Amino acid sequence: MSFLRELLLRFRWLLGRSRFNSELADEIQFHIESRAAELEQAGIPSGEALSKARREFGSRRRAAEDTSSAWQIQWLEDLFSDLRYAARAFRRNPGFAATAIFCLALGIGANITIFNVTTSFLFSEPSARDSASVIAIWEGGNSGSSLTDYKFLRDSHVFDSTAGINVEREVNWRAGDQTSRLYAGVVTDDFFTTLDVPFLLGRGIAPRETDTAVLSYGAWRGKFNGDLAILGRKLVLDGRIFTIAGVLPANHRSIVGFAISPDVYLPVTRDEDVVQFYARMPKGMTMPMARAQLLSVFGQLDRIHPKEGWKRTNQVRVTGVTGFDVLNQEIPGGVAAFFAMLMIVVGLVLLIACTNVAGLLLARASSRSHELAIRLSLGATRRRIIRHLLAESLLLCALGSVAGLVIDIACAMIIDKVTFPLPIPIHPVISPDWRLLWYSFGAVLVSALFCGLLSAAKSVRRDVNQALKQEERQTGHAWDLRSVLVAGQLAASIVLLTAGLLFVHNLLRAASSDPGFDVHHTIWAYMRLVPERYTDADQNKQLAVVHSALEQLRVLPGVDSVAITRRVPLNDNCVIGTALRTDVSATPLQVSYECNDVGPDYFHTIGTPILRGREFSVADRKSSQPVVIVNETLARTVFGKVDPVGHTIKSDLTGAETQLIVGVAKDSKYFTLGERQRLAVYQPYFAYRQPVNLHFLIRTSSSPAGYAKPISDILGRLDPTAAIETKPMSQALGLALLPSQAGAVMLGAMGILGLLLAAIGLYGVLLYSISRRTREIGLRVALGATPFDVLRIIGRQSLALVASGMVVGLTLAFFATKPLTLFLIPGLSTFDPGAVLAVMGLLGAVAVLATLVPAIRALRIDPMTALRYE
Amino acid sequence: MPEDSPRFLPGTLYMLILRTLSAGPLHGYAITRRIKQCSADVLDVEEGSLYPALNRMLLKGWLRAEWGTSETNRKVRFYKLTKEGQNQLASEANDFDKLVKAIQLVMRTA
Repeated sequence: MSFLRELLLRFRWLLGRSRFNSELADEIQFHIESRAAELEQAGIPSGEALSKARREFGSRRRAAEDTSSAWQIQWLEDLFSDLRYAARAFRRNPGFAATAIFCLALGIGANITIFNVTTSFLFSEPSARDSASVIAIWEGGNSGSSLTDYKFLRDSHVFDSTAGINVEREVNWRAGDQTSRLYAGVVTDDFFTTLDVPFLLGRGIAPRETDTAVLSYGAWRGKFNGDLAILGRKLVLDGRIFTIAGVLPANHRSIVGFAISPDVYLPVTRDEDVVQFYARMPKGMTMPMARAQLLSVFGQLDRIHPKEGWKRTNQVRVTGVTGFDVLNQEIPGGVAAFFAMLMIVVGLVLLIACTNVAGLLLARASSRSHELAIRLSLGATRRRIIRHLLAESLLLCALGSVAGLVIDIACAMIIDKVTFPLPIPIHPVISPDWRLLWYSFGAVLVSALFCGLLSAAKSVRRDVNQALKQEERQTGHAWDLRSVLVAGQLAASIVLLTAGLLFVHNLLRAASSDPGFDVHHTIWAYMRLVPERYTDADQNKQLAVVHSALEQLRVLPGVDSVAITRRVPLNDNCVIGTALRTDVSATPLQVSYECNDVGPDYFHTIGTPILRGREFSVADRKSSQPVVIVNETLARTVFGKVDPVGHTIKSDLTGAETQLIVGVAKDSKYFTLGERQRLAVYQPYFAYRQPVNLHFLIRTSSSPAGYAKPISDILGRLDPTAAIETKPMSQALGLALLPSQAGAVMLGAMGILGLLLAAIGLYGVLLYSISRRTREIGLRVALGATPFDVLRIIGRQSLALVASGMVVGLTLAFFATKPLTLFLIPGLSTFDPGAVLAVMGLLGAVAVLATLVPAIRALRIDPMTALRYE
Repeated sequence: MPEDSPRFLPGTLYMLILRTLSAGPLHGYAITRRIKQCSADVLDVEEGSLYPALNRMLLKGWLRAEWGTSETNRKVRFYKLTKEGQNQLASEANDFDKLVKAIQLVMRTA
């Protein structure tokens, strides 16, 4: 305790330092005057008394300094003076400082940014009070279950409180005479109170409310101009009126995770709605206990409301909602693998930055051995010198970290503005992660301190006299730590660059690959109807809209054909796994296939040829014979060499109904451009009940530019409450290209960053080591070596360094890129000779440049000058 | 300072200051004067070491500094003993007593 109090007193002194000094001077003055007065009383003349008193006191300055030093925190004083000294040293050598800080800033900045994006997608803590006691519940292994089940669980009172949410909703928002589509999340009325979500304005949806809404920060800013008086305003959503009750804060992270952020939250009302269950466990309850209780509740539900072929008690899971627990939920394997790879890449970049700085420090320390020797001989202690060198490392790391943080904040601001071309509302909340900043700073600091110490120890251990007489000279065989660092750095950046180039290659290949349909002459018009307006049992009202839309669009000038489809390929898919029976074989075949419901003229409009048989026509409807069109791959897999047209199929889903195959369509891509060829079955659009989401495809005879407006106008006139979005198909490939685009951008950027850092490191080290040999070069020239001889000797050293780095790097890259196949278009080899050559060429050029520049400079110097050169 | 004045035993300056202040708060100059008087002019505190010592004692919490007015009507710092200072004085005086007795014992009997 007394130590703490002392420290506190010392800091207080530090703050009031100048006042303390003047008070002390006063006190000493008073002391001297008092003594003088005493002497005067003893009979000494006044002038003499004062000077005698002063002599007696001795040096006032010394007394003041001694007194101050009683208060000083010695190490802090020393640190400050060392830092001041380091800053002066950097000002004298700005090139060195700038390079080192630049390297660190890039390494740290990139590192934090990517880490932040990753955590905000995967491990972010949701906005909820005490989220450790909140669990996600998977009834029967499903992510969502009916509201009926939800109410049963809620009323069982197993948990303190429960919450249900479904973020996969859309609503039409009518404002004035404009209708647009919003991403909606429907929540149970106890959702916001259960999680205790913080609000920016107002409050959440309260129990038993059915007509209140909560806005996300993004929607509030983007669609309502951040109106502060928004609470209480009415919103017309899908024809119903909602009152805005609250606005979520900018840093809101939904409980669902993965940066999913709907524009608006509404109360769930219909019993058949599906929600994901969350619950807050009472104090003392653990997840296994919660699971045991849930099993009994779901068992009761199974008895009361049995469901065919599905037991609620099967695969019941309970997971946490924070950190790594989120990964225990359903997570697309590809996403996790992608981020894992990214983390490795980021680690490599940080490693390169660290080695760069380490190399720079080592070079600097050995070039300063002369200076250090002078200071040693002038009486500086070894400890003091080592401390100076460490202070320099510390200052470098601090400046580099600050610059890295600036880069990170800039990147976060850019990412905040980006809208992801995805059919789900994704908006990551990126906040600087201090833990990571400390980690990066620590990693950099350790490497800098290590190298600083190493070189410092080396320079202070040497005999002062010898160091004063001659500088350290480097001769040909220098496989010292610095060279190892550079070779290692080269290797790491080759791995990065190879991976980056591979993704760029993949992107190019994917972008130019044939999706199996024409994206250059087709327009996609998405019309979402308000479900409440089309509630008639046989969907006649909705069908009337579809038919008039098709008729009116067809007669638009320049329109070649129009079709309706339930799903637009590469944007939405539906996979069915079932046992397929045919009339050619007695045994059913277990298959998994893509399914879609398409209208007449679909294949002509989208540009996928029908190879055999026919397209659907207006005659294929509910009452007519059930027909299907299959793709080539399904025909080949199921029917072999037999022409499937005229044969029938039957699946578990169609029940007793057999479907006649009327056509075979050419294969195309269904969900991603990189997917392996899949099986597909198309059914007639008008033969089945369809959702209110209408997707029209329009084929134009010329470029589709300029058609969006007239198409939207036609559709808008048919139903002003419908939300309409029209865009060329070429713009609708976003989702399909996203993985390779993201990969190409990220890894490409990191690869270039790595290359840049490695080039700086390589250049710096070669430049340095050759300039150290100026004297040797002069000697050789004086002894008759030709410039060619000199270049050969020097070149051999650089070459050995670069070649060994490259061999290690290429070997590593060969193995490290193997697992990347997961993200690549099938058939694209991870070994890309072009990329290898490009990488080698680039680094080779840097090496040549870094060797030639100083060598030529050394050769130009007059041998006599070079011999004297130190 | 007389040439033949005995040097302070190491570590005794604190104890003497503490003892001097146990009668009541004094300012720096008064402390030297009091020590000199009480030792019959034998002990003369070197001014250069008085103020560092006082400040170290402030830092240790044995003393507290307060502003007051001197006999000559000047504003000056008075040093006052704290509870901790009193304890420190007691223990130091006790130790010192033992030490002196022990030394005397050796000087007489050895």
